[in-house]
This record gives sequence, C-alpha cells and structure tokens, in this order.
Amino acid sequence: MNAIVERFNPLFKPKTVAVVGASTKGAALPNVFIRRIRELGFTGAIYPIHPTAPEIDGFKAYRSLAETPEPIDYTFIAIAGAQIPPLLAAANGRVRFAQVISSGFGEVDEGRDLQQKLVDAARAGGMRLLGPNCLGIYSPRGHLTFTEIGPRPAGSVGVVSQSGGLGTDIVRRGLNRGVRFSGLVTVGNCADIGPSDLLEYYFADPETKVIGMYIETARDARRIFEILRAEKARKPVVLLKGGRTTLGLAAAVSHTGSLAGDDRAWVALSRQTGCILTESLDEFIDALLIFQTLTPRTDKPTERVVLFGNGGGASVLATDTYARLGLEVAPFAQDTIAALAELQLPPGTSITNPVDCPVGTLQQDDGRVAEKIVDLIYRIGKPEALVMHLNMAPFVGRSKPEVLDNVVLAAMRVQSKFPGLAHFLLVLRSDGDEQIEARKREFRAKAVELGIPVFDEIGDAGHALKALRAHERFVQSRRG
Amino acid sequence: MNPQALIAAAKKDKRAALDEIAGKQLLASFGVSVPKSVIAKNAADVAKAIAGMQPPFALKVMSPEILHKSDAGGVKIGLKSAEEVAQAITSMAAAPQIRQARIDGWLVEEMAPAGQEVVVGAVRDPNFGPLVMVGLGGIFVEILADVAFRICPITRLDAAEMLDDLKGVALLDGARGRTRASREAIIDVLLKIAGENGLLMQHADDFTEADINPLIVSANGAVAVDARFVLA
Repeated sequence: MNAIVERFNPLFKPKTVAVVGASTKGAALPNVFIRRIRELGFTGAIYPIHPTAPEIDGFKAYRSLAETPEPIDYTFIAIAGAQIPPLLAAANGRVRFAQVISSGFGEVDEGRDLQQKLVDAARAGGMRLLGPNCLGIYSPRGHLTFTEIGPRPAGSVGVVSQSGGLGTDIVRRGLNRGVRFSGLVTVGNCADIGPSDLLEYYFADPETKVIGMYIETARDARRIFEILRAEKARKPVVLLKGGRTTLGLAAAVSHTGSLAGDDRAWVALSRQTGCILTESLDEFIDALLIFQTLTPRTDKPTERVVLFGNGGGASVLATDTYARLGLEVAPFAQDTIAALAELQLPPGTSITNPVDCPVGTLQQDDGRVAEKIVDLIYRIGKPEALVMHLNMAPFVGRSKPEVLDNVVLAAMRVQSKFPGLAHFLLVLRSDGDEQIEARKREFRAKAVELGIPVFDEIGDAGHALKALRAHERFVQSRRG
Repeated sequence: MNPQALIAAAKKDKRAALDEIAGKQLLASFGVSVPKSVIAKNAADVAKAIAGMQPPFALKVMSPEILHKSDAGGVKIGLKSAEEVAQAITSMAAAPQIRQARIDGWLVEEMAPAGQEVVVGAVRDPNFGPLVMVGLGGIFVEILADVAFRICPITRLDAAEMLDDLKGVALLDGARGRTRASREAIIDVLLKIAGENGLLMQHADDFTEADINPLIVSANGAVAVDARFVLA
C-alpha cells in the first residue's frame, strides 16, 4: 500500500478511538461524539479517557492515553486547552492521530505559546495532530462524524476545510445535493497537519476521485502548489478560497507589488495547475457533484451545449448566462431541425436549441416522447452536453406523477445508447411551494441513485459545466 | 560582477534596491538583453565615455535618493550626439530634486529599437514564494491592471498562457496599426526570469519585489530598458 495512504488510514478508518472530555453525565460534546459514531455503525474499540470515572456511556474509562488496552488510532479531544499538552506528551507513542477540538490556541494572540506547547507535546507523544480549534472528521468508511447525520453511503469526494462551520455546511448541504464523501477533514489552526497533507493523501487514496479544499490562510501554500503541479490534475481539485479580496501588498514600492493581491496568487495557482477556483459554497458543491458523477472528456472538451426542457423564458435567460460562461448554446444545423420537425410536436414547441417543450408536449406518451427527441439530438446534433431542465410546478396536478420519471428515464435510456457522447445534467426547478419541494427532494434522491447530477437552476448547471470544461481543457493542454 | 556580488555590494551599501546598472547586470547574467550603456561621471566625461556607442542615446540620473527618475526630471531620451548628452547632463543637474541628491553618475544608454512596451514583474508571496507578472506597458498596467500572474517556476506553456490572459493581447499581434511584437521574445524573458532555473528561483530569498519596466519588444527581440529589484 502507498505509504501516505497507510499513514492516514488510521484517521479515516480507525480501529480504536479514544475520547477525552466525555462526562459521566453524558452531556458533553465528546459524549455526543460517542453517540454519533455508534449511530453511524462504528464497531471498533472506544476508550474514554477520564481522571476518575470507572466508565462513561457504558465504556470502561482509562486514566491516560498510555493505559488503553490497544494503541489508539484516533483521539477526539475536547478539554481545556492547558490540560492537553501533558495529556499528549504522556501518550508514549501509542496514539496515531489526535484531533483537538478545543480553542484558545494560535487563533488568539495569547494562545500562541500554548499552541507551540501543543505541537511539541504531540511530537513528544509520537502522534500527528489535527487542529486545534477544529470540529473533527467526517469519514463514512470509518463511521466517524462530527455532525448529526444519519448513515449515508461512502463516496468518492475527499474534502479538507479550514473552517469547521463551513465544513459542516459542505457535508450537510453536499449530502442533500447528492455528493458522497470519501472523507471531510476540518483542520482548524493547522498547527501540524495542514491542507497540503490532506491534498497529498486524497491524491494517493484509491477511494477518492475528486478533491475539494476550503482554504482561508494556507501557510503551506507553496506545498499545495508543488503537489498540484506534480499531479497535473490527475484527479479534479475544486478550490473555495476565503479572503480573496485582500488588496495588494500594503507597503508595495513596485507596480508589481501593488497589483499582487491575494487573489492573484490563487488565480495563478488555478491557471497553472488546473485546480478549479469556485466563487461560492453552492458553486463549490455543484462542482464537486459534477466531477463525482460525470467522467471528464479530455479528448474533446465540452463546447456545444443543448438546453432541453419546459420553460421558454428560463431557457432564453439561460442561453445568455451560458454565453457569458463561454458555453455555446447555438441553434442546431438544418439536419437536426429537419429530423425534429418530423416528430410533429405540438405548436408552442421550439426545436432549434434551446429546445423548449411545454408540459403539453412532454406528457405525450406519458413522457416517453423525450426519448425520441433526445435520441435525434444525440444522433444528429452530437452535442457535448445536454442540460435537461424541468420546471416542476406545471407538471404537478396536470400530468400523472410518473410523467416526470418517464421523461428523465427516457433521456437516460438514450444516454446509455451513446456512451461517452454527451454529459447529461438535470435541473429541477421549483417555485418553493411545499408540495413541489417535497416532490423535488424525492426526485433528486432517485436521480442521485442513477448517478445523474442535479442542479437547482439552469445557470448553476452552467457553472458546473464550466468547471468540468476547464478541467477537460487543462488535462488536454498538458498532455504529451 | 556576478549576481551574488551585485546583491552583496548593494546590501553592504545599505541600499533598498539594486541600482539600475546592477539590476541590468543581473538581468544580463540570466541572458536578458539590456541596452549597451556606460556611466559618465560628469558632462566633461561624456565624449570619452560613449566612444564607439551608437546614437540615439537615453540619459538617466543615477542616485539612490531618487526613486522615480522621470518624475524628478532625471530621464532624457532621443539624444543624438555626445554634445547633446553633455548639455542634457548640465541642465538635468540643475533640476531642483536632482541638485540636492547624492549623484552616483549619469547613465548613458543606446536606445532600444522602437516596440511594444511590456512590464515584467515579480513579487514574493509570503506563502507561495516568488510570483511573476506580465502586462502591457503604460495604461494597461497602471490604469487597467491588465496583468497576469503565475507562481514560479513556470513552463513555456504557462508563459504563453500568461500572454493569452491579457485583455490587450491583440496589441502584440499588431492590432490598431502597431508593429508586431514578438511573443516568443516575451516568453523567453519570462522563462529566464521565472523558469525552472530562472532568476527568481535562484534568488527567491534576495528580493521582495521587482519591475522590468519597460521591456521593449519588437518583432525580433526584447530589451529590458529599466529594471528595479527591491532587496529583501
């Protein structure tokens, strides 16, 4: 096994977990942590560490990290900061990873010395340190979580986040959008392990296909650059960077210095290593989702996009948005239009591109009409991507519930007839009505099961496609 | 002088930046073309100093106390003879900001052939290390901030993409009746500065900022006409 994977496996798939700071009354954060990982199906040993209690939450407690029956793969620590260095120093090489949730370290001026003591103690105790001031790790394959979620299948998206709160958003919102994680690690103050270490791990980890990073201040930015540069976008890397509006060097004396804001370096990183720089949490999640579900086509990067769905105005607006994103939604050539015309779709249907089909058209043959349309588009028009957008409100009440399913399944059947031809993206548009939202949630879950990326708006799908295309183009340009 | 000696001498002299001559010697040692130049001690010294050089000449005051030579009236271009250079020194020496400054001498340079003005710069990012910048000269850099940055070291493809990132890139190909400027020449300079064994990689800790402004780029080549390296 790869040495990096081997080194980090105890963190992502621990066999033994120690918990420091759990209370006998069962109300502290570490107690919650024990409950959550058991709910997620953790079956390894759990060792509460406590100065006096004989047992906690039904588990036999131990006095120190050095006294547990087995060495500890992962330790969850939430006690007062000053008590932690002696705890770690006494571990005697028996702990692989310690995650320090507690704050009051390097993030405040008066905590800098304590952070140094913490680092020294971790080194003396022979372990790697996560945090301090971080929330923890979400690793479905290891049955670990720091946020309240039910059991969810493990996936292929590996994330490192410098913010715990945003890390929680990424997990929760991501899961609801269909993102499935190989892991998410919050790194807090990065006193020892930094984003570059996790980046290196995710590149080596066979379970991880897509990498996401939320970064605020990266002291290991140079190493991030060097890893990305060496890997040449072998796996797509999606970046969300906080603090990009920082202005140029305050005391610059040259033109170059005054022009060199923080943003310049991160844009440069993206341009020369192929990592995808996103602008918002939602764009970040959508990009992770598209890379998780679709296979980048690096031989023929995405250029021509077909929009197909109900909603004339929405598709006109989307055409503008796509043009601004540099994606081409161009009218079909005559042969495609002629073939579509032969279908003799009802009046009000537009067959150029965007293809606009009112619900009246789409519910023909209980939705199976979509198969004929998409088949012609693929066979003759040969686009590189098809975005199917369904405004759900007009369907509800006017057509049988299965029409929506049939429309999407029809497109999927065509998709499987032309493997690798076009990226297929689904947009489910809702007006926020309770009934529609419920239907959308259910429908999204089904689509996710089929491996279809689903987006809330046509424009969101466009941003994700742009990210995919940027990756495809980069890989193509660096080949050879 | 070799690069180490140039840097050591400037530090010993407690300078904040390499002077123009030293900056150009540094560039030349990495293979970047710079104009042929001499330093005249005074107006009387000019004729002897520039013997064998081809007019037109540019004249610049050399003083550690004058950061912006043009603003101080310390730059004169298009001088056609030794006499004109000598006269220019005499009148320049009388300019208010120059009269009071410590003068190291008068830099007389052969002028570069006309071409597109380009700025190549560098800045040391506290986390990423050296970054390189390119932009088109004049308003493109100063007003529009139409520049592209990369983290060092860069590849030839990175350098080419930096130029493609500029909104004004068409000017290099001769848009609006301009003469064509050689992209290859700019890319070569970028690689000498920011490539794998370039100046910035070898001197990552020596400088915090640098400007080559302007780099004059014609259809056949590029010449660094002014250079500033701010010492760390």
